[in-house]
Amino acid sequence: MKLLQNKVAELFENGTINLMIGFKEALTKQPVPCFIEKASEIEQLIYTKDCKNNLSVYLHKPEVKQAGKIGILANIATLRALVQLTSENQFWDIEKTVLTVNDKEEVIVFSDMEEVEAYVQANFPEFSEEDLKLLDYLESLSREDRWKYWTEQFSACIKCYACRAVCPMCYCPQCTVECNQPQWIKTSAQTTGNLEWHIMRAMHLAGRCINCGECGRICPVGIPVHLLTVKMNQDLFKEFGTKSGFALKGDYALNSFKPDDKEGFIK
Amino acid sequence: MEIKTITSANIPVFFNNLVKSGKVVVAPVLKKSGKVFFESVQSYDQVSTDYIQTAFSAKSVVFPEVEELFSYTKKEDGDFEFRNDMSNVPETVIWGLRPCDSSAFNYLTDFFLKENPDTYFKLRKERTTLISVSCAKADAACFCTSVGLNPGNVTGSDILLTAMGDSYYVEISTEKGKSVIDTALFTDSTEKSKEEFLAKVETKFSMDEIRERIQTAYDSAEWKHESMGCLGCGACAFSCPTCTCFDIQDEGSQESGKRLRCWDACGFGQFTRHASGHNPKSNQTARRRQRLMHKFKYSVENFGIVSCVGCGRCIRVCPAHLNIFENILNVTKA
Amino acid sequence: MDKENKYIPYRVRIAKKTQESSNIQTYRLEFVDEKDAENFSFRSGQFCEYGVPGEGESTFCIASPDTRKGYVECTFRTTGRVTAALANCEENDIISLRGPFGNAFPIEQWYGKNVVFVTGGIALPPLRCVIDTLLDQREKFGEISVYYGAKNVEELTYKAELEEWAARGDMNLFITVDPGGETPEWKNFIGFVPTILEQNPPKSDNAVAVIAGPPILIKLGMPILAKSGFPNDQIYTTLENRMKCGVGKCGHCTVGKTYVCKDGPVFTYEEVLGMPLEY
Ligand code: SF4
Ligand code: SF4
Ligand code: SF4
Ligand code: SF4
Ligand code: FES
Repeated sequence: MKLLQNKVAELFENGTINLMIGFKEALTKQPVPCFIEKASEIEQLIYTKDCKNNLSVYLHKPEVKQAGKIGILANIATLRALVQLTSENQFWDIEKTVLTVNDKEEVIVFSDMEEVEAYVQANFPEFSEEDLKLLDYLESLSREDRWKYWTEQFSACIKCYACRAVCPMCYCPQCTVECNQPQWIKTSAQTTGNLEWHIMRAMHLAGRCINCGECGRICPVGIPVHLLTVKMNQDLFKEFGTKSGFALKGDYALNSFKPDDKEGFIK
Repeated sequence: MEIKTITSANIPVFFNNLVKSGKVVVAPVLKKSGKVFFESVQSYDQVSTDYIQTAFSAKSVVFPEVEELFSYTKKEDGDFEFRNDMSNVPETVIWGLRPCDSSAFNYLTDFFLKENPDTYFKLRKERTTLISVSCAKADAACFCTSVGLNPGNVTGSDILLTAMGDSYYVEISTEKGKSVIDTALFTDSTEKSKEEFLAKVETKFSMDEIRERIQTAYDSAEWKHESMGCLGCGACAFSCPTCTCFDIQDEGSQESGKRLRCWDACGFGQFTRHASGHNPKSNQTARRRQRLMHKFKYSVENFGIVSCVGCGRCIRVCPAHLNIFENILNVTKA
Repeated sequence: MDKENKYIPYRVRIAKKTQESSNIQTYRLEFVDEKDAENFSFRSGQFCEYGVPGEGESTFCIASPDTRKGYVECTFRTTGRVTAALANCEENDIISLRGPFGNAFPIEQWYGKNVVFVTGGIALPPLRCVIDTLLDQREKFGEISVYYGAKNVEELTYKAELEEWAARGDMNLFITVDPGGETPEWKNFIGFVPTILEQNPPKSDNAVAVIAGPPILIKLGMPILAKSGFPNDQIYTTLENRMKCGVGKCGHCTVGKTYVCKDGPVFTYEEVLGMPLEY
């Protein structure tokens, strides 16, 4: 911890950053996001395996952007998000310094996004065991039962949009659910509208989702929303060999076109 | 107030009798996700007894996520027919809500009925009986004692049950409460006090100090820092027992359909946005401030009630884990 | 609104549709049900929720004076889904109406005084209602002055009315368009409303001022009026926050602890000064 804190103190001192996004321990003992603006707050900073939040989402936030020079303590999911977002031409308007703590508890300060990319490629995470197990189970169901499973799950959704709020890839200033000319998606939290919302979200994230699992983790109702995009990513890898958050100049199946595309409808 | 006792063994009998009487009984149920939710249940075996607080409050019984205000049909001559029928709203018992939640019902009642009484809430509230259960356990997010409540507080409940080993201490506050008691199961109370069976909840702040300092807190420089983590979702407002904001939306065609009111939240960026694009609460700092000021200042000015009951839900549910009592302490710092 | 259920609307028929400009229209609305017509009464300054079932509701003030009974008028600009649906309606179509909501201008307190109106863009409607109420009992008031501006000539609403007012000869009119918004024939003022107001300050003795318009105009205009001598409690405005319910429940319209829909929309500058800048 000291190592990390000293490093961050150094970054503040030499003017590299004026805001550090990291983790601290909450009164409830779990690690939660923290925002350090003053040197005196640096001692709150922690990093453990339980630091799950994908902090890259904050780099979209106007209040954060205002700081201009931002340090971000990134877990592997956050690093992947940064790679993906860079490939989507985000973050042109801020100066960011990316830090991580590796398995050997060494603090790494990346000097540029290429280094982040290399680190991500060397440490590319697998899909989580737990997710794969649940997906296997769902695949084993009949189409009708699978539909039933998701209908039941989504009928409990209250449309708090927390899944969208925590997602670093959901950065549209006006989400499709908020468009009402025409009204694509019913706004009331009822089964049909909920399904529409989640199908739409899954499609917008197909091949862009970097599998941090935040949406499923924080859903107050406990819906495993993240499985939809995990599944999409699996299929995209199988069919097109693409991986999200892997390369700065990535090729994403849903926004690239090749004359030899295997899908006939596109030609 | 009437005090009675019921043996723990008779609690399921009492509960199942409520179900048998034809009332809808809504009680805490443990779901596969590990979270506890209020749900309509058929028998006491389904009821969770080992929980600190439900993930969501029970306000949806009187203020549903989606309420049909009326349905409409356009007739051939172009005129409309508007229909609203609430006759089948069932008599409902909410079982197992915590004392903080029942006291939240007092605020809701003032809010919805004092001025421009709300037809929908009024009817639902009339048909709802609250049987609360005192807290034997609390967690780090609980802070009822800081807002003038406590784990055994009776306000708002029709009946408050407190588990005392092999019996329950029963406090019946209203006629409605009396009407659901079946006398055979209840005896006049013992001399024992319920206090020792209640959770100990440490006070996080003194409401007297906050009440004074909140007067000038609007301009505090701390809001920005305190709300930096806020991502602008609806989780805190939707889980909160005293949040009342809603949106009105039509679903259907211009020929027929329904006008609905749906929960909304002041944390959403679109909440206050004008059609012109101008947004009076233009950033998340302003929106987070609205939430806290509403709970601790505006509702006091409008209704004489601090509308945060200290249930801690918004803390547990927040994806960024914003902590309302830390926030309020920091923005009212001297 | 006397109805017990505040959410069930009245049915009203569009008796007359006037296209004020390409995207601004005025509707005269008459109640389908005669009983509703009898029960419905309002005061100048109040607003309603106008709706097309299936599309939703939109908030506009009542633009006709409360001295003229049996109908209400509203003027609105097409900006979104609901206003587009409303604008698509034709004469004789039936739409929904809830209201009247909110407080009103205390016109009785203005008897014997000079009244100054300041407004811009699509905000003439809330004041047109008051102006016409005053004109219907012209003898009870002193001088009536109107400062009104729009982006360009096309966007000036109530052109016919403006001509009528000018023809009466018993009003001081300062009609202006933003620089660049004038046409070759334009003979009136050119400049933003606050500028015209500063250059031609209204007399503030024995006078009240009423200002309405986009939030920026209100924020800039109120201090100018105060500076020209109007006491803070004699400057009135009407605020237009986003509204859904109209009855102080949905939470959209709040400015601090104040609900614009039920505590307003009419406020004095003194009251506004006590509120946070959330409008
Ligand atoms: S976080 Fe959960 S409840 Fe909220 S919108 Fe997403 S899926 Fe629905
Ligand atoms: S405080 Fe937390 S739960 Fe509430 S809007 Fe902000 S991020 Fe969502
Ligand atoms: S603001 Fe938070 S702690 Fe207070 S009543 Fe609402 S959910 Fe509970
Ligand atoms: S304004 Fe915000 S805090 Fe207040 S009731 Fe509405 S959602 Fe809750
Ligand atoms: S419009 Fe609903 S509270 Fe004011």
